[in-house]
Amino acid sequence: MATNTQQAEQRELMMLQQYLKDYGQQAEIFVEQLNLLENGRMEAFAAIEALEAMVVADDNTVLLQIGGGASVRAKVLEPEKVLVAIGAEVVVERSNKDAVEFLKERIMEMEASQKRVSETLDKLRGQMNEINKRLEYGYQKSMAGRQEEE
Amino acid sequence: MFEGLRERLQAARNRLSSSIGAVVAPLADQPVVTTPAPPDVSKEPAKSAAPSFVDKVKVLVLERELIVSDKNIADALSELELTLLESDVALPVTDAIIAHVRKSLVGKHRKIGESVDAMVVSALKAALLQVLGKGFDLKEYITTHPRPVKILFTGVNGTGKTTSVAKIGSYLHKQGFSVVIGAGDTYRAGAIEQIAVHAGRIGIRIIQHKEGADPSAVLYDTVQYAISHKIDVVLADTAGRFHTKSNLMNQLEKIKRVMKPDLVVYVDEAVAGNDAVIRAAEFDRTVGADAIVLTKADMDSRGGAAISIAHTIGKPLMFLGVGQGYDDIIPFDPAGVVDELLDGA
Repeated sequence: MATNTQQAEQRELMMLQQYLKDYGQQAEIFVEQLNLLENGRMEAFAAIEALEAMVVADDNTVLLQIGGGASVRAKVLEPEKVLVAIGAEVVVERSNKDAVEFLKERIMEMEASQKRVSETLDKLRGQMNEINKRLEYGYQKSMAGRQEEE
Repeated sequence: MFEGLRERLQAARNRLSSSIGAVVAPLADQPVVTTPAPPDVSKEPAKSAAPSFVDKVKVLVLERELIVSDKNIADALSELELTLLESDVALPVTDAIIAHVRKSLVGKHRKIGESVDAMVVSALKAALLQVLGKGFDLKEYITTHPRPVKILFTGVNGTGKTTSVAKIGSYLHKQGFSVVIGAGDTYRAGAIEQIAVHAGRIGIRIIQHKEGADPSAVLYDTVQYAISHKIDVVLADTAGRFHTKSNLMNQLEKIKRVMKPDLVVYVDEAVAGNDAVIRAAEFDRTVGADAIVLTKADMDSRGGAAISIAHTIGKPLMFLGVGQGYDDIIPFDPAGVVDELLDGA
């Protein structure tokens, strides 16, 4: 029959497992956020490349991806005029150069956010490691207790 | 918090100041008659009508003051408008801020030698405070209402609702209120355990049923427990839901009928920007909301949601979540946020 101390230890282990699960869920959310930021950053880089290539392309012709790996040659009517979603669901017309500048600023912003999220994630992982260590110690102690009883 | 917005606002502030300064500087260089102003010349602190050139010269000569015109600040205001939109501040809110700044500055009399920057900062602060509203003092609300004060938390999935319930529980506990939490999220796997662990850590009683139980019954029991034990505050956690899910929204209606909350608090994440504002408006339309909590404000560089949400849905912002710890929640203080955004350039 389990003693009061053993029951308390079991409760503590269960609590630690719950902490670990809780932190794990939070970490998942932050990883998801990091992925979103990374996708946004890559998209912005691709847009900059396309905008810069547009102005130097012969005859304003570019390759337009239409999904499924298929592309068509398309002529850009006004490569110097770019419609940019600046935020708050507002789209404004910018010159090609200004649009590139805007995207570069957004990339910097996203990188700063990535840094902050990464730091938080590292902190969370550190706490998870600590809990893991305590859990492992708890299991070992519990196993040793059982062996002694036997 | 809101570093990007702060940087942009500082740039817009400098631009506004230099626009006004650049126009008044040549005028100020002109010889000025030092005759004291006649006693019957009355001064108004601010005039919204555009002053004529004659008015400007008269005021400059007689009162040693300069008047700011709409033309002086038009470009700088356009820049401020873009600055706000780029920070994800909703369009109607941006319009309201611009209109307020314009009204504050155009026709404003400025004493020669008076700081342009101080005038601009004051106009920007007043405009931001107008859209931010007064905030919501939960402590005061609890002390002035019959106990138990029942607070129902709603919002979409994954925005940190359960953690916010725990943080607010911890905050109220530290303020000397007795608190009980109702584990009303019986839908999400592990949600009851999650809130139970939080409650255990902060030393708050929790009322829970089994996973899949009727949340209305859980929260009814929580309220009954609070009444019989003379508890000050009931914090009712609920499952995250989108306003488009009619079955879950009906469930929320039932919860409201059964537990009769004093406050319905909508929780969303600041990082969602304008999406959070749109979702809050939808929730307010469907189930109503009395106050807002924005989580992950420490991760939000733009600050658009925090600036826009109160003005857009007409409900106050109550708390900002700013980290992982239980103490990382701050009562929303509009004046403090505005000072942080505009002071110390």
